[in-house]
Amino acid sequence: MIPQPFEYARAKTLKEALAMIADGAKPLAGGMSLTPLMKLRLAAPERVVDIARVPELHYIREESGEIHIGATTIHYEVESSPLLRAKCPLLAETASRIGDIQVRNRGTIGGSAAHADPSADYPAALLALEARICVVGVSGEREIPASQFFVDAFATALEPGEVIREIVVPATGDDTGWSYQKAAQPASGFAIVGIAVRLRKESGRVALARVGVTGVAGKPYRAERVERALEGSAGSAADVQHAAAEAAEGVEASSDLHASADYRKHLARIYTMRALTTALSRIA
Amino acid sequence: MKISGAHPIPAAPERAYAALQDPAILAKSMPGCERLEQTGEDEYRMVLKMAIASIAGQFDGRIWITDKNPPEGFTLNVEGKGKPGFVKGSGALRVLGNGTGAEVRYDGDVQVGGTIAAVGQRLIDTTARLMIKRFFDKLAEQLAAGG
Amino acid sequence: MATTTTKTEPLIGKRIKRREDPRLITGTATYVDDIQMPGMHHAAIVRSPHAAAKILGINVKPALDLPGVVAVFTGEDTKDVGPVPCGASLPGLRVPHHYILARDRVYFVGHPVAVVVATDRYIARDAADLVEVDYEPLPAVADPEKALAPGAPAVHPEWPDNVAFTYHQEGGDPDKAFAEADVVVKQRIVSQRLIPSAMETRGVVADWRPGDKALTVYDSTQIPHLLRTLLAGALGIPENRVRVVAPEVGGGFGSKLNVYAEDILMGFVAMRIGKPVKWIESRRENFMCTIHGRGHVDYYEIAAKRDGTVLGMKLKLIQDLGAYHQLLTPAIPTLSVLMMPGLYRFKNIKADIVGVFTNCVPTDAYRGAGRPEATHGVERMMDILAAELNMDPAEIRLRNFPEPEEFPFATATGLTYDSGDYAAPLKKALEIIDYPRLRAEQRLARDAGRLMGIGISTYGEICAFGPSPATPAGGWESATVKIEPSGKVTVMTGASPHGQGEETTFAQIAADELGVSIDDVLVLHGDTSVVQYGIGTFGSRATAVGGTAVYFALQELKEKIKRFGAMLLESDDVSVTNGQCICNRTGNAKTLAEIAGASYRAMKLPPNTQPGLVSTYFWEPPNFAFPFGAHIVVTEVDRETGDITIKRYVAVDDCGRIINPLLVAGQVHGGVVQGIGQALCEQAVYDENGQLITGEFTDYAAPRASRVPWIETDHTVTPSPVNPLGVKGVGEAGTIGASPAVVNSVVDALKPLGVRHIDMPMTPEKIWRIINKGTNA
Repeated sequence: MIPQPFEYARAKTLKEALAMIADGAKPLAGGMSLTPLMKLRLAAPERVVDIARVPELHYIREESGEIHIGATTIHYEVESSPLLRAKCPLLAETASRIGDIQVRNRGTIGGSAAHADPSADYPAALLALEARICVVGVSGEREIPASQFFVDAFATALEPGEVIREIVVPATGDDTGWSYQKAAQPASGFAIVGIAVRLRKESGRVALARVGVTGVAGKPYRAERVERALEGSAGSAADVQHAAAEAAEGVEASSDLHASADYRKHLARIYTMRALTTALSRIA
Repeated sequence: MKISGAHPIPAAPERAYAALQDPAILAKSMPGCERLEQTGEDEYRMVLKMAIASIAGQFDGRIWITDKNPPEGFTLNVEGKGKPGFVKGSGALRVLGNGTGAEVRYDGDVQVGGTIAAVGQRLIDTTARLMIKRFFDKLAEQLAAGG
Repeated sequence: MATTTTKTEPLIGKRIKRREDPRLITGTATYVDDIQMPGMHHAAIVRSPHAAAKILGINVKPALDLPGVVAVFTGEDTKDVGPVPCGASLPGLRVPHHYILARDRVYFVGHPVAVVVATDRYIARDAADLVEVDYEPLPAVADPEKALAPGAPAVHPEWPDNVAFTYHQEGGDPDKAFAEADVVVKQRIVSQRLIPSAMETRGVVADWRPGDKALTVYDSTQIPHLLRTLLAGALGIPENRVRVVAPEVGGGFGSKLNVYAEDILMGFVAMRIGKPVKWIESRRENFMCTIHGRGHVDYYEIAAKRDGTVLGMKLKLIQDLGAYHQLLTPAIPTLSVLMMPGLYRFKNIKADIVGVFTNCVPTDAYRGAGRPEATHGVERMMDILAAELNMDPAEIRLRNFPEPEEFPFATATGLTYDSGDYAAPLKKALEIIDYPRLRAEQRLARDAGRLMGIGISTYGEICAFGPSPATPAGGWESATVKIEPSGKVTVMTGASPHGQGEETTFAQIAADELGVSIDDVLVLHGDTSVVQYGIGTFGSRATAVGGTAVYFALQELKEKIKRFGAMLLESDDVSVTNGQCICNRTGNAKTLAEIAGASYRAMKLPPNTQPGLVSTYFWEPPNFAFPFGAHIVVTEVDRETGDITIKRYVAVDDCGRIINPLLVAGQVHGGVVQGIGQALCEQAVYDENGQLITGEFTDYAAPRASRVPWIETDHTVTPSPVNPLGVKGVGEAGTIGASPAVVNSVVDALKPLGVRHIDMPMTPEKIWRIINKGTNA
């Protein structure tokens, strides 16, 4: 398990990192995806720039009703952040279900999003939260809605030379219910199915429903049919069941050693039902 | 691994059938195709640079066509190897008219070996489908542009 | 002069913390990969990506051209070395010549084709990628039943039927038993291929000293002496010029009870380059090239009377051997046959084994080695029979155990079970779990639509291998006990512990026998230049056989101590206790240190007595030992997802007398976890072309701590009459008891749906499909 030779540099500032990335270096943060691929010699970047200790990329802070999370914030920090637990518990809960303790202490939110593994946990939550992904390159910054960021399996809207600077999620209040429910692949811990739900009720009706789905298909998606079916309803058990049935409708589900397409679609419905039920129960 | 599916092509079946065997069009449609050269009748050599996530690998392969039955279909055979592993497969392609254009249905069996087979099970299905989709999208794009 | 501290309280039976742990958990132990030598080179191995292929050519030049590469060897270079040895013999066994590097053909994915040697391991690894091998792929077969079908690709062209051997065993009159039976139940049962997954992968450092014409091999092995003998033979070096050292060994589970191509190859390389060479196996290689376990397809039939009394059993056993025989490959299924009656009075048995070649890595001993398969079979069949007769699974078991007074108990397979009270652990486990209340709870759960299951296994196993006539390389074990001039005690065991904790248990035995502090005892093992010849650690034998050898060496040593003591105390009535030799009449005493000092100084010697205090004992066991126990598992199945949750796990084991309850609990816990792994999630999967598609821990699901339940352990104690310590063995018991208990529990949970059998691993999707179809998917 020895990678091909490569040059390694640790960037001290974002500017330094961007210059190296523009010059063709591969960014490395927690290394939870890149280093295994390198050790298997499936990935062989000639140069790697370690951005894990760039101070400008490491923070969780609230600004005008939104929470900004620096790209190199590790999963454990997201999971345990008092701010996120209070004001964006869906993201904290999702982080708590990623991989195992070791992975959560190395892996970063930006790295996970940029790698865009179709079975990663975060994309489901970022879609349900309608997060914005702020990316930066030598030529400047831009913001991409999560719905446009995840283009395909392992493919994002990042242009060459760009890295994720931060992820912006809305601060939610007591009127919001949330849940991340996951069937984990027993070997790797990746999601066979992961369902992130954000709900808001107004005067007894579901006013907003956002459902992000990961693991089921070649890329994460918003289960818009579920959202539409639920919005405007009272959120009764029957409403939930009816809505959850749509979780994998029209989706070409993936199939692998660990779960067939049929089973994935079935689990998507079951876990959507469970996530919706939990989210509704959490609305104060 | 079995791979099957269908993809619409905005061209008449005859045109789609021809395009599917046109090295120039194929070279432009094949994701990551670096080189495609004819080495014999219905036989080609291809160099493909695959890049999925951080995975990058060059595949050197042979493509040959058998069971030609114009304009209805043919069998496409592929054999390739690279550092990440090797691929071998064949699939029946059927070109059907669908009123406004054509639909290509494919049904094949692919063997994957080496490192990719050993550690990439989670990704093979998704990646194969993604590459096929990109191929047909590109093909459709070219046929639409070229008329 | 240092003195020996004395103690009075016996240590056997005490929860003594493992003396090897501080160095293990502080990272100060020395594993093979920690060994550095001046001028040491590094090897990397080029392996076949194909399951079956002809080698048309190998171009090593690009690798040789890389600066730092000193040599590349291929099968042509090594053809006169080896072969990789098979130590098992069966009548008519077909043994393919197992070259250490492939010659004109490869037989499984990972088959070594060439070795690259370089000045550092990184260059070696890079250069391995530069070796160009031209393969012509051939059809392969990875499934043993498919390999037996007519027209299947031949793994070895010389044997087109892929059959390596057949083996028949019969006891009693099985045909008559089946003819007279009220009921016959049949089931096909699969024990899937598993990857042993020792925490430390294999590794070898070979050091050839041309001046001494001597080879030293540091090897992560369970059997240093056997490896030395076999390496010497394979390399053509006199055995006394080969030294094998097993330094710290990070687990084996049987996978290091072997001699691998790489062990021999590194010796060859060291001799060719005249420099030490190191090879450390990667995890990928470990999955591909280190032996796998299990790989059975079994067809069972049992015959019984309507009251549940079992009469006979028939078994057709198909063993997936892989492409070659490793050290014990073909012998493993014969152990399954020996133990097929389990703990029950099956007086009539018939078994037929077919050993099948496949284009896969060989199978061989993996924790339990043949017995988990047998136990899984008989324990599943007992449940199937109970279901057929509408009997309680506990009741049917209790009906068929031999009574304690029937021991020694002769089985239909020719074994003599040493001692047992088989009902005792089951009754204890039923009591711990409050069985009647649990069944009542289950009825309520079923009424509420929940799928709750209660699974029982009452396992028996054969261990303490074993009498030499029944063990390929000899079944005895050796020990030397020395009292050093200072009075410190050194125990050298021929068993080679690799995680089991014998540095602690053997020290307990020595400390008790001599009455010294455990801190004065050091247990050495694993170095063939230090330790007398020994057999090794496997088959739950180290304590029962190796510990007994230590015990007898201590008895001899005590006699000698007494002779010196009698001389020094001028008495003819002395005894050894509390680290002293005491005159029983006067109470005068000499400490062990004083006696040891006198024995080495040898100013005066007792009559017919040599100086020094050293005793060596080779103990030959008269029989195996047969531990047993009962495991009860409560599960609940999620009807919607197929997920299985283990709610309770009770393990009551009887491993004879317990030397150290802490270590016994550890063995049970670890064993149970591996059994749960097989039951729920582990499987080595080859695709139809022979590609190992669970090639890493990302797809091979070893059980995680998070899915391991709280394991409630308890014991009954039925001492073994086979050895004076009364111990049996516990290294494999947990694994053997666990998988049938878990499967029985889940089948019980799904019983309302008409399910009677589920093959392992019971993945959620499989369970979901069964729930939706009511059949084994």
